[in-house]
Amino acid sequence: MSRIDPVTGAVIQGALESIALEMGHKLMRMSYSSIIRESEDFGAALTDANGLQMCECKMSTPLQSGPIPGYVKNVIKVLAERGDPVRPGDVIMHNDPYGGASHGPDVAFCVPVFLDKLLIGWSVTTAHHLDIGALSPGSCGIVDAVDTYAEGLQFKAIKVFDEGKRNDAVWHILRANIRATELVVGDMEAQIEAAKIGSRRLLELVKKYSLEKIVNAFHDLMDYSERMMRDAIRALPDGEYCATTKIDGYLDDSDPARRELPIKVTLKINGDSIIVDLSGTARQVDDKPINMPLAGTVDCSIWLTIRSILLDSVIYGSIPQNSGLTRPIEIMAPEGCLVNPIFPAPVIARFCPGNQLADTVMKAFAQIVPDKVSAGIGNLRVVALSGLREGNHWVHMEIMEGSYGGRSGLDGMDAVDTLYANTRNNPIEDIETHIPVRVDRYELREDAMAAGQWRGGIGAIREFTFLDDAGFSLEGEGHAFEPWGFDGGQSGHKAHLKLLHTDGTSTSLPSKVPYFRVKAGETLVSTGPSGGGYGNPELRKKAAIDRDIADGLISLKTAKKLFPNQF
Amino acid sequence: MILVGIDVGGTFTDFIYLDHETGKTDIHKVSTTQDDPSIGVITGLLELVDKGKLKPKSINQIFHGTTTATNSVLEGKGACTGMITNEGFRDIIHIGRHQRPDHYSIMQEIPWQNRPLVQRQYRKTVKGRLTPPTGYELEPLDENEVLRIASELKESGVDSLAICFLFSYLNPKHERRAKELVGEIMPDAFITTSSEISPQFREFERFTTTALASFVGPKVAKYVKNLENSLSKNNITGDLRIMASNGGVVTPRMVLQNPALTMMSGLAAGVLGGAWVGEKCERSKVITFDIGGTSADIGIVINGKCSETDSRSTSIAGFPLLMPMLDIHTIGAGGGSIAYLDKGGAFKVGPQSAGAMPGPAAYGLGGKKPTVTDANLVLGRLEPNDFLGGEMSLDVNASRNVVGELANKLKIDLLEAAEGILTILNANMANAIRSRTVQRGIDPREFSLVAMGGAGPLQGAEVAQMLEVPEVIVPISPGITSALGLLIADLKYNVIRTQFQSSTKPNLYRFNSEFAEMEAEIHERLAEDGLSSNEVHFERAADLRYLGQGYELRVGLGNGKISEKSLLTLWQKFHEIHLVEYGKAFPESPIEVVNLRVNAIGQPKEMIFSPFKADGDLKNALVQTRDAVFRLDGSLQNFKTQIYRRNMLPINVEILGPAILLQKDSTTVVPPNATAKVHSTGNIIISLEPNS
Repeated sequence: MSRIDPVTGAVIQGALESIALEMGHKLMRMSYSSIIRESEDFGAALTDANGLQMCECKMSTPLQSGPIPGYVKNVIKVLAERGDPVRPGDVIMHNDPYGGASHGPDVAFCVPVFLDKLLIGWSVTTAHHLDIGALSPGSCGIVDAVDTYAEGLQFKAIKVFDEGKRNDAVWHILRANIRATELVVGDMEAQIEAAKIGSRRLLELVKKYSLEKIVNAFHDLMDYSERMMRDAIRALPDGEYCATTKIDGYLDDSDPARRELPIKVTLKINGDSIIVDLSGTARQVDDKPINMPLAGTVDCSIWLTIRSILLDSVIYGSIPQNSGLTRPIEIMAPEGCLVNPIFPAPVIARFCPGNQLADTVMKAFAQIVPDKVSAGIGNLRVVALSGLREGNHWVHMEIMEGSYGGRSGLDGMDAVDTLYANTRNNPIEDIETHIPVRVDRYELREDAMAAGQWRGGIGAIREFTFLDDAGFSLEGEGHAFEPWGFDGGQSGHKAHLKLLHTDGTSTSLPSKVPYFRVKAGETLVSTGPSGGGYGNPELRKKAAIDRDIADGLISLKTAKKLFPNQF
Repeated sequence: MILVGIDVGGTFTDFIYLDHETGKTDIHKVSTTQDDPSIGVITGLLELVDKGKLKPKSINQIFHGTTTATNSVLEGKGACTGMITNEGFRDIIHIGRHQRPDHYSIMQEIPWQNRPLVQRQYRKTVKGRLTPPTGYELEPLDENEVLRIASELKESGVDSLAICFLFSYLNPKHERRAKELVGEIMPDAFITTSSEISPQFREFERFTTTALASFVGPKVAKYVKNLENSLSKNNITGDLRIMASNGGVVTPRMVLQNPALTMMSGLAAGVLGGAWVGEKCERSKVITFDIGGTSADIGIVINGKCSETDSRSTSIAGFPLLMPMLDIHTIGAGGGSIAYLDKGGAFKVGPQSAGAMPGPAAYGLGGKKPTVTDANLVLGRLEPNDFLGGEMSLDVNASRNVVGELANKLKIDLLEAAEGILTILNANMANAIRSRTVQRGIDPREFSLVAMGGAGPLQGAEVAQMLEVPEVIVPISPGITSALGLLIADLKYNVIRTQFQSSTKPNLYRFNSEFAEMEAEIHERLAEDGLSSNEVHFERAADLRYLGQGYELRVGLGNGKISEKSLLTLWQKFHEIHLVEYGKAFPESPIEVVNLRVNAIGQPKEMIFSPFKADGDLKNALVQTRDAVFRLDGSLQNFKTQIYRRNMLPINVEILGPAILLQKDSTTVVPPNATAKVHSTGNIIISLEPNS
């Protein structure tokens, strides 16, 4: 039952979306580090007073906006426990991975919105920062942090502005404990400014329409999103559907319990709701940061995958992303396993395992809605390149793309970010202009294609040559296991990493490399994974095979091997 | 001196001419000939000549807006295109920025992967590498390999070629040499380089823009040549000028060199027309608001100028386009926009449109879905027997039926549903205008809204009210503003150079020598176009950002020698613009100069139209008085509404709303509590504030 007339509802929805867009637009354009402005690894959203999400910025990356309600709920809880009331003029910084944050480098700035003395909502921006004061430079590839404390500074609902007054002490501590200070602080300032804009606009909107109308419109919107999701779930047959995939873990570790860790998903569909049961997933790794925060990573990974499959925006149009969409989904994750670790188990490198969880959810759905999924995706890897120049740190982060599996009626997408991530690479002409690195190659792999009626997407090769002595660290997945093929399609191809030395020798590296010193002239070669094939290769059209041969993606010899019936 | 403006649209080709000696002007319209639009252009032009008793030879200049390049990309029909690029980088235009267009979709397609401009088999790589910051040659170009590749591509039937090397914006040497070599092997092919098309950093965007130019190149060349031939065959020897996306006109030679220049030109002319109307009414700040059947185009004009967008905001058919382009915001909302309930039961309007076929239900051509036009008709805001000057009648019952069905689903009254369609549409448009004004520190309350296009004057007043814009200007012929815009467009040449200089160590010598080179380049181009330097004036600008940021803001720079002092002014202006644009400045942070730009712009033309004749009076202009529905103080009410014939209205006589003004190419709605007056220029001004 609607609380507000449909016309006003539609008008308010448009206004809310436009506020979130403005926040993201300004944050992205004001920010300094490439991880925000080029990779778009940031989020912007408004929530109500209790942390229910009202709207999010469509430009931002799903894994950043998705966790915002969790950040807000935890900020409210922590401040209440401290007996520290939220007041107008406060700006609250938060990055607690056991309190809603996706991981430590994703710092939120939360601005409470007050109508006179009444707290009516929160305007929040999140962003991935270049450095958060962990044990080695950069905020990715910290794959050897032994606990949460080793991952960098933890800000648990810290008021950086208290009733409008800047809390200088916090900023002094921060400046003294993080690298690439100017960039990080500049980005934080941009975040605060963007959050303040959101707060101002929400207030203008409330003044224009009345608080009651906005609240009603927002609850209608949540109901709407919930209804869409429930309708989609109701159309699925009841039952239990199970899938397992494995993450690499630490491939060079002597302890087998740290290698090849299973992620297990059981979908329990009952009427118009789903329970996602993660029992059977590996136990947490106590002293390695590949555990995943339940709120902020695991939940977002599951929600985003389910909506991308059941409410695919190309088919269903854009459905408001708000807390209503997630109401029909319940997540069960046994405590102490990878997907629900116990504090202070480290979590900073949860990015790739989280995307593997998304892939596993899709694998379970493949049994129910084979027309709406892709075969197994090629997972991502993140690298931080860093060094010292004239006494200052330079840090550059690059997300290395994966690829999608084949789909019903469509080949897989080549060399893209997959599932819960959707960032952008940095232009080569920007990289080489600003850091002492030369890019020597960026192109598709050849002869690494998963056959199927619809072939898997193809991964990319990138080569970075260091022009100064420097260092890098890397977190990734997909070195040990091939992306899964579906319905007769072949498995995909694994990712690789190696370092070419100046004397012509090379070192092969695993998918997790803690800070690693390199010399000028050495080249890091990253080979991205190719997604799985979809459907029986015998059914692939000859014209499509011929095109891939002509395009040089596979040789004639390989084509004959992959599609023997066609030659 | 006779000027003619010709605008090829999707459905109609519009013509306007102006005789400078007599101030005489006339307009004309023919159906666009889709297969070869130059046929319609010539037919219509000859009819116009005939109608106005003009001598073909007496036409001095023809200003032309063409959609050939645009349609070629939108329809995916272009040349068999090849690319030569650096070894190791064959797939730059395939991988893109490795981002998916949609966050939440498994079944999406990626334009540059599913509809490649250049297939991988025609993308070839050669050795040769330049490096920043100066374009130093790390490895020489492998010339033999270029020759070998050219023969191979020629053999495969490639007839258009893009040569794209990394860092060519710093040093075009390799690209130029490769072009020379390829030219020897493929003398008939269209060959271009990324440093010619758009010499600025970001390789995916630059290479794609170059590929777009190559993709449309042969087709555009053929069109321009056909047109030139037909004109001269018909003794029309005046200069042909073609509209570019940057809001200026260029010579046919320039279009042949860089066909991507015209990619978004259709939108630019409309804004110019609107800006001109504002100027005639002595308004210094106007929002141009052009609504057709499927989309609304919004431009912000201050002191006669619409700014250019930054280079990261333009795209066509999903492909990024790094071309100088007026900052025009387009949304999918127009007269044909369809109203519907989506799968979750939410009330939506657009972006799907009923188009011209079948069109709104009111057209009686088989349209079964309620559109904005149907809603206007149900509310009595369109005259069923006087649409398109009586050439077409509208079926009120058909509109009531389709809007009624929607009302039933919504469980609201018919009129509420009809008015709801307009409110949602207007709110979408108001949000779009806000994103270009309020969100950039610009106060729309200081602006006038120029309502153009067939549907602009219908919605203009209500959209203005939502934004508290105090007045709406309705041009004499709202439906033909693009052709008018063409007529007044000036020549415009853009030159750009990427710099990456920092405010901490600016190199004055480099600034000055680069500007000198850029200006010399323009002089050279002017000479090639047979123009003298007196015909243009120069404008300089720089794209700046705080060191580390990824988006630039454009700041104007004075002509003459750059000194320490002029740089200080430049930095200061950047801080100010940053503050206005984003709400904050960082005066302590170093600034990076990313690009330098020089525009050469034709000297403004004095446009003398005959004074507007208005000897009508209100009584004669009144067609009838009947009911129409408006919302006032929150409730829907029936109002006795005067229906006037616009061309019979007197000047400067107040018309009280609600009123509806009829003319052939549009219908103007003056809501209750608003008043309208015909301005001495013939444009109508609707005041939304009570007159004092």
